[in-house]
Amino acid sequence: MKINGVTIADTFAEAFTMRVARLVITGRTGKWAGEAATKLTGFATSVIGCKCEAGIERELTPTETPDGRPGISVLFLTMDKASLPEQLIVRVGQTVLTCPTTACFDGLPDAPDRLAIGKALRVFADGFQASKVIGGKRYWRLPVMEGEFLVEETFGMLKGVGGGNFLILAEDADAALAAAEAAVAAMTGLPGVILPFPGGVARSGSKVGSKRYKNMVATTNDPFDPTLRAITDTALPDGVNSVLEIVLDGTDAPSIEAAMRVGIPAACRPGVNSITAANFGGKLGPHHFHLRKILA
Amino acid sequence: MSDAITLTLAAQPDHVLVADCIAADRFLGLDAKQIAQLPVVHGGRAGTLGEFFKVRGGHSGVVRIEGDVPRVDAIGAGMAGGDLTIEGSVGRDLGLAISGGRIDVRGNAGDNVGGALPGAARGMTGGEIIVRGNAGDEAGARMRRGLVVVMGDGGRAMGEGMIAGTVVVFGKAGPGAGRFLKRGSIVALAAIDRPGTFRYACTYRPPHVGLLLRYLRGRADVAVADRFLTGRYERYSGDLAELGKGEILQWAGD
Repeated sequence: MKINGVTIADTFAEAFTMRVARLVITGRTGKWAGEAATKLTGFATSVIGCKCEAGIERELTPTETPDGRPGISVLFLTMDKASLPEQLIVRVGQTVLTCPTTACFDGLPDAPDRLAIGKALRVFADGFQASKVIGGKRYWRLPVMEGEFLVEETFGMLKGVGGGNFLILAEDADAALAAAEAAVAAMTGLPGVILPFPGGVARSGSKVGSKRYKNMVATTNDPFDPTLRAITDTALPDGVNSVLEIVLDGTDAPSIEAAMRVGIPAACRPGVNSITAANFGGKLGPHHFHLRKILA
Repeated sequence: MSDAITLTLAAQPDHVLVADCIAADRFLGLDAKQIAQLPVVHGGRAGTLGEFFKVRGGHSGVVRIEGDVPRVDAIGAGMAGGDLTIEGSVGRDLGLAISGGRIDVRGNAGDNVGGALPGAARGMTGGEIIVRGNAGDEAGARMRRGLVVVMGDGGRAMGEGMIAGTVVVFGKAGPGAGRFLKRGSIVALAAIDRPGTFRYACTYRPPHVGLLLRYLRGRADVAVADRFLTGRYERYSGDLAELGKGEILQWAGD
């Protein structure tokens, strides 16, 4: 299969099941909602080192938020049930609670699994907290120096998908970057998907484990490193001198498929040799995104 | 099973009619005949609901009372769920000690809306009561949880002895509002006669008020002006003769 002369490899991206929460952060202006969301999702590129993966799903208009203010929808993922509330309590407490004018609402109200995030954060108020039940949902009001921070008592948790991906193999670094930027632009704002790496792009794709250091969980994906072409079992076609990876996390597999369906064609630009994907022979995760099937 | 149960006043009561049998959740398991046989007290004498109301429909948690029933007391008493709409005005003790569901009065309501039974420590413990006209004295008194909205004027002692919950009054609130309040909020969108045991805290934009008013606008079709959604409110903490963890929030402008 070729798109704009770019070869689509006959392979699949392998992804795994994660736990996901959606947070709706609102602010007096979009800028302040964005400031909180940016801090909340900082250092959250990969569970390998960050223990969570997070990103901005999309901006919300005032008509889409519970309090009628501009907002940001954030997806937050961890590998297991226990670590999701741990990470959220710490991060919301340090990044959203602290941010002027913001409030924090649950974005998965129908999810039966509930995480007591607001309930845990309320103790910051040192006994001065107050709750309100509005429309059957309980909210906590925390007095702060600016005024009040409003946070929903519980947040929904679903089984999500982490590690969807595709690799852009290009003639040079400039072409790879331009293709990656185009793909990210095409996928930004799609519902149910985040791209957790900087600018949505990872340059340091990894393989599982290490050939040399037994304590390393992940190390450089040497078959795709152009500088190692001559000394490793390379997976790079001739003429490829730079590779960038797009990693996708989402609320479900169809959302990731939908994003790949628009992202991959957008990456098929001049200077791009081929698009492939990272997998581990089907041993890592139950979600397999076959590139040609998605694009058919 | 019908979409809604309709009660139409067939004969205007000569005396006060205590109809605490009217509750949306209670009607869910009853047909029209069974509803008509429910007991009422008229002028101190026992009777049945069917002597005063024509009942249409059954087995529904949505109930509508047509017309003005200002002499009918205790409508919705003890209700735990469902929707009860009264097209006109009602007597006292509307939604007495309710724990759930929603009561919507298109006209005025008498004293003790969502209040407590005589001698009881708690009034309503949940649910929502909306009075689109004026309310009598002691609306929301001794409320433990829930929401009372009065779109007209409130009488004396609104939210007196509240333990928690929220009272919203669009019009003027009479003297004694929030007296002996432990926790909970009284949101006043117009003038309110505050007890001296409430102390000014600050003027700010309370985020939960905007959320609440927006909810009322969307879910209950309550007309709320934008200035109340986004405006500033003066916060008065009280009752300082009690816990002092409650508040009166008075709208202070855009």
